[in-house]
Amino acid sequence: MINRRTFLQRSGLGLAGTLLAPTSLLHSCRPGTARAHIQGSLHGANHATGHVLRQPDRLPPPTRTLRTDVLIVGGGVAGLAARRELARRGKQEVLLVELDEHVGGNSAGGRNKVSAYPWGAHYLPVPDPRNRELLAFLQEAGTISGYDATSGLPIYNEYHLCHDPEERLLLHGHWQQGLVPDLGVPAAEKNQIARFFRLVEELRHATGADGLDAFRIPLDASSGDAQFRQLDALSFAEYLDQQGFTSPHLRWYLDYCCKDDYGTLAAHTSAWAGLHYFASRKGRAHNATAADVLTWPQGNNFLAESLRKQADSPILPHTLAYQLEETPAGLAVLCYDAATRHTMRIEARQVLLATPEFITRRLVAGLPNLARPALALEHVPWVVANLSVAGLPQGPGRPLCWDNVLYGTASVGYVNATHQSLSLNNHGPKVITYYLPLTGPHATATRQAAYRTSYDEWVARILAELETAHPNLATFVQRADVWVWGHGMVAPTPGTIWNPVRKAAMQPWQNKVFFAHTDLSGVSIFEEGFYQGLRAATELLAAAPPTANA
Amino acid sequence: MDNATLARPPREAAAATAGAQPALLLGSVFVIATCGLVYELIAGTLASYLLGDSVLQFSTIIGVYLFSMGIGSWLSRYLGGSLLRWFIRLEILVGLVGGFSAPLLFVLFEYVTSFRLILYLLVGLTGVLVGLEIPLLMRILEGRFEFKDLVSRVFTFDYIGALLASLIFPLVLVPQLGLIRTSLFVGALNIIVAGVALYRFPETRPFRRSLTGAVVASLLALGVGIFFAERIQTYTEGMAFQDQVIFSKSTTYQRIVLTRNSRELRLFLNGNLQFSSQDEYRYHEALVHPALQALPQARQVLVLGGGDGLAVRELLKYPQVRHIRLVDLDAGMTRLFQHNAMLVSLNQRALLSPKVEVLNGDAYQWVRQDTARYDYIVVDFPDPSNYSIGKLYSAAFYRELDHLLAPGGRIVVQSTSPYVARQSFWCVAHTLQAAGFQTIPYHCYVPSFGEWGFVMAGRNSHWRPNGGPLPRGLRYVTTATIRDMLYFPPDMTEIPTEINQLNNQALVRYFEEDWGPYSH
Repeated sequence: MINRRTFLQRSGLGLAGTLLAPTSLLHSCRPGTARAHIQGSLHGANHATGHVLRQPDRLPPPTRTLRTDVLIVGGGVAGLAARRELARRGKQEVLLVELDEHVGGNSAGGRNKVSAYPWGAHYLPVPDPRNRELLAFLQEAGTISGYDATSGLPIYNEYHLCHDPEERLLLHGHWQQGLVPDLGVPAAEKNQIARFFRLVEELRHATGADGLDAFRIPLDASSGDAQFRQLDALSFAEYLDQQGFTSPHLRWYLDYCCKDDYGTLAAHTSAWAGLHYFASRKGRAHNATAADVLTWPQGNNFLAESLRKQADSPILPHTLAYQLEETPAGLAVLCYDAATRHTMRIEARQVLLATPEFITRRLVAGLPNLARPALALEHVPWVVANLSVAGLPQGPGRPLCWDNVLYGTASVGYVNATHQSLSLNNHGPKVITYYLPLTGPHATATRQAAYRTSYDEWVARILAELETAHPNLATFVQRADVWVWGHGMVAPTPGTIWNPVRKAAMQPWQNKVFFAHTDLSGVSIFEEGFYQGLRAATELLAAAPPTANA
Repeated sequence: MDNATLARPPREAAAATAGAQPALLLGSVFVIATCGLVYELIAGTLASYLLGDSVLQFSTIIGVYLFSMGIGSWLSRYLGGSLLRWFIRLEILVGLVGGFSAPLLFVLFEYVTSFRLILYLLVGLTGVLVGLEIPLLMRILEGRFEFKDLVSRVFTFDYIGALLASLIFPLVLVPQLGLIRTSLFVGALNIIVAGVALYRFPETRPFRRSLTGAVVASLLALGVGIFFAERIQTYTEGMAFQDQVIFSKSTTYQRIVLTRNSRELRLFLNGNLQFSSQDEYRYHEALVHPALQALPQARQVLVLGGGDGLAVRELLKYPQVRHIRLVDLDAGMTRLFQHNAMLVSLNQRALLSPKVEVLNGDAYQWVRQDTARYDYIVVDFPDPSNYSIGKLYSAAFYRELDHLLAPGGRIVVQSTSPYVARQSFWCVAHTLQAAGFQTIPYHCYVPSFGEWGFVMAGRNSHWRPNGGPLPRGLRYVTTATIRDMLYFPPDMTEIPTEINQLNNQALVRYFEEDWGPYSH
């Protein structure tokens, strides 16, 4: 007999199964095709979460209670940066709960017998040396080995700077060096391309009436001058039209850049954000330039793991926080442990929500006197695939680089995860990481369609694109793992970044609940996640009740 | 033996087919004579191909082969019982031994220290077996012809077969099939003779079943050999090189090719000349001695690259050197220079010395994990022609070497040609400086390479060209030579370059620019 209680429990268990192990199944491609031998996993970053959050009453009641001073919800870059900052500042009794098996969020990574590889973000541009907190973190992570005595500039670990050759573009069937189209591009278009780069170079040095840089990372440090901020109301495409940038090759390149950083096309990207991509690159170093990037075989998972290692407060993985309640002493957070299938109640004085906006909104819904405005954000779905290949047949032109982009395709190309390898054996097997932002005006519909797409369909689609550059690639693929990021990253659509609502959404609730996530920046890059975590942790420490550590 | 128990075939049955049988047997004489001579030609060609000095090789091979045939003829008197059965067995054996002789010799060339012994044993064995054939056939035909007819016919076919063999071997077989396939193909002919005899003679009935299996299995083995012959030796490769290719092998990492002509042996890795036995002493003496003569305290030495053991040979001339660790990526390469007689004599058994430890691995990964300290590090990598090798010439790599260098120790780096690749050469020197070393660039003339450059590096500049005694018996390096090597004429003098870093790979670009005009 199934009564209502056990039925509900079983539903919960069913959900737990999807939460905990959506990836253990090995999928195969369709028999009878050239890809029939290919197998791999299909990950979907916990899209079951939404269902659990919508129906929290279907979870079993709490069976135990934990107490901590600070609870961080979410182990992405912002949550980990906040946790690190709290540890640095001597905060005791910090606990972090993370929904996934591993922390890192978009900076997830994996490993097989060939190489480590990224599952998401995979590089960090050489940072602006004024970003001292970020530099201090990088030094602790071993990415900065020291500072030059005369210039005072950081010296980067050469093994972390992206090795040459860095980038190539497949244009007219030939791999050219660099990603800016050049080969066979008409002179008139080349003039426009040169003019565009002169413009962004000017903007890189531009300052507003308030003396602040027009474009800076973190973006909240940028000038408040209206002549720059008003660019946020326009789409980047509209801005480019106004400025007379009509060259198809340039416009393709700028669409590519928007997709690469934001997952959106120029037409759906704020002009301010589109320009920020170029004009905020102010990196300086003793042994690198602003154009250099830092990268690792496992991508930014190296950074996420370094953040994690720089604090020793406990982390509870596969734990879903689904409800927040105010208590006389602070807050109670109900969490579901998908491994033990138990619910627990975590009591904390302060809570730091390092969760995406659509989760945050549900978690805080029950708090009294909540003045926090709702942020209307769009999240772009992404598909990331890691292909283990026995070899990579090359076309004419430049040899395999770190970043390899195909002109005129939907993806933003692939990176070679084995690029930083110091081995002489460059003919052996490789792992290549392919990135496909699912751009489109209707993110929700696109996301639903992405969830319905089968493993075989993804592999077929990816191979169809890559085989235009690497004939018969399918026969070289030993394994293909696919990850569908339903809410890949926040889209800086026009009006998102300098919307006053964004600032209001960062405000803490009664010195008890604090907010940190790249959604609050409007762009999803590592530096912003790091900044958001640092900011929220600083606010939390400033607001901590005097008895907190008594 | 079971032969004795087998009754002779009934006379009537033999008589019934008597008309066809003698013709068939005489046809066999013709085929086996052709095959026999082809085996001899294959052995002679292979020997002069692999060992050089063709007059000596051909003479000794023919001598051994004919003498062994004599032994075979003499042994034939001990065969009794069913002669036809013996003949069929013999043909199968000749087909297998002769057929596989060429592929076997090619494969063993790499692994066997005493290759000559194997060669002559195989030639001798083939000779003995071939020597048995004609006497045995003559005995089988004994009662079917008059003696004078028998002798005349058998030897006529024998000599016609020899003529045919000597013509088709150089004109048809080697150009069309190559040595290995020729060998296997001719082996198959012997076995076909065995198969035909087995089916056309009713006397074979009692043992037909068992020998049919052997015939089929042998044919199959030879067929498989023919199919894979391409892998054993790529014939087209012979055309890419000036001289005869005597060995070639694709390892996981590279294609190793050895060629020889009347004067010298040359080693190519991926088509790039590594050394010529004629003048490699100039390169290796210049690489090793200028730094080591000034290091009387050098005990521990690290060699990176240099799997040919030729630099190690020079290092072993210093009694103070106690331990040499050689790290080369390719086990195929070091194995070749540890086991092949010709190459072992070239490096004077350097890689077999008890002072030498040979490790196969990636040099970059090795230096990052090694915790030993070395008095002398010899860096002998291939030229920086691609981005993977370019990393082994980077400032980051040289900083790793710095961690491994004992106080007062020194490094030497082969640095391409300062004449052809002037930018590349000085880029290596400047990169070593950027990694914190004092450098001493020098160069020498190696006829098969041209002007070649090296850079010595150390934490101090206390080096002197007459820092200590040079070993006896050097053919190129003297104190005066060292002084000479330090002088750079105006067309090779220092020019400004970038530093080679992992994130700019300046050297690979210089190298492409420098060598580009020469590669078209």
